[in-house]
Amino acid sequence: MKLQESFSAALLNPRTPPPTGIVGYNDDIDRRFAVYSNNVQSGLINALATSYPVVAQLVGEAFFQAMAQMFIQKYPPDSPVMSTYGSQFAGFINSFAPARSVPYLADVARLERLCVQAFHAADICAVNPGLLTQALDNPEGLAQLHLQLHPGVASLQSPYAIAALWAAHQSLGQIQGLNPRQPQSVLVLRNELRVEVFTVSSGCAVFVHLLKGGNTLGLAAGHALEADPDFDLGQALALLISHNTITGLQPTHEALP
Amino acid sequence: MNSKTTRTLSAAALALALGSALSIAALPAQAAGDMEKCFGVAMKGHNDCAAGAGTTCAGTAKTDNQANAWKLVPKGTCEKTASSTSPTGFGQMAAFKAKS
Repeated sequence: MKLQESFSAALLNPRTPPPTGIVGYNDDIDRRFAVYSNNVQSGLINALATSYPVVAQLVGEAFFQAMAQMFIQKYPPDSPVMSTYGSQFAGFINSFAPARSVPYLADVARLERLCVQAFHAADICAVNPGLLTQALDNPEGLAQLHLQLHPGVASLQSPYAIAALWAAHQSLGQIQGLNPRQPQSVLVLRNELRVEVFTVSSGCAVFVHLLKGGNTLGLAAGHALEADPDFDLGQALALLISHNTITGLQPTHEALP
Repeated sequence: MNSKTTRTLSAAALALALGSALSIAALPAQAAGDMEKCFGVAMKGHNDCAAGAGTTCAGTAKTDNQANAWKLVPKGTCEKTASSTSPTGFGQMAAFKAKS
């Protein structure tokens, strides 16, 4: 067990010499171990660059490689599934001092993570709109309604213009005249096979966040209005329904924990 | 959460919002429905989703025209698309048992 631990630690740190006790067919252990170590590290760095293409563009390749190198030493993979690797990257960026000159970097990373999650989320069909129409027959029960959302749906609020920054880095938007200090809230979802990113009101972000947490329609709408007096519930519901993100509804009266 | 500070919406306000949402959403929802899931027509690794128990991801079909892998195709064309594995000779709207 001791050898295994020192072996894996040395794999992820280019400055650590190979552990003692390794033998090979020739004596060039250092060089041979370095080849293996380099493959592991570049594989992980490539996985991060694939999941966070806009972060990589924002800081440039050299900076990204160095930052990713430090990340993988701190957070080695805990699953063989590379698409889930790097979920702590945004938090790491937040505390990574050299990245402070790009204050919106961590939030852009959060947005990119949500896109990856949405892309790989389970495939669940939208609820028949007829069931929503039926729910209208009992207006008194609407406040207690639980709307289940597609597992790929997520919202994010940021003090920076993360949706505009994100779009501008994949030829979906313009970089000219973009003010990164404009607060933006985004909604990420997958409609059929397409991951879509919408700029929404802060109320809509709160609303989706609370629905996703299992709260009732009445509670989520109430808190969204509290956070954003201009919150338009009809518009938020229309966005969710028309993009096939409501996957079920339960007219339950159960108290939530 | 503190319910005292939370605005509560009346049943009528909720009904109005949901009603307007359903009417706004009605058109795009129909437009999005012009594709259908077609089983048994995807080439190996090019299925859009669902291949094998427990998998949920695209590109996992192991053989051409795999019977439990689907691809999105324009509506109405699925059952006209040739499938070498399908007992009917064409794609099907649900997963099927491949003929041997």
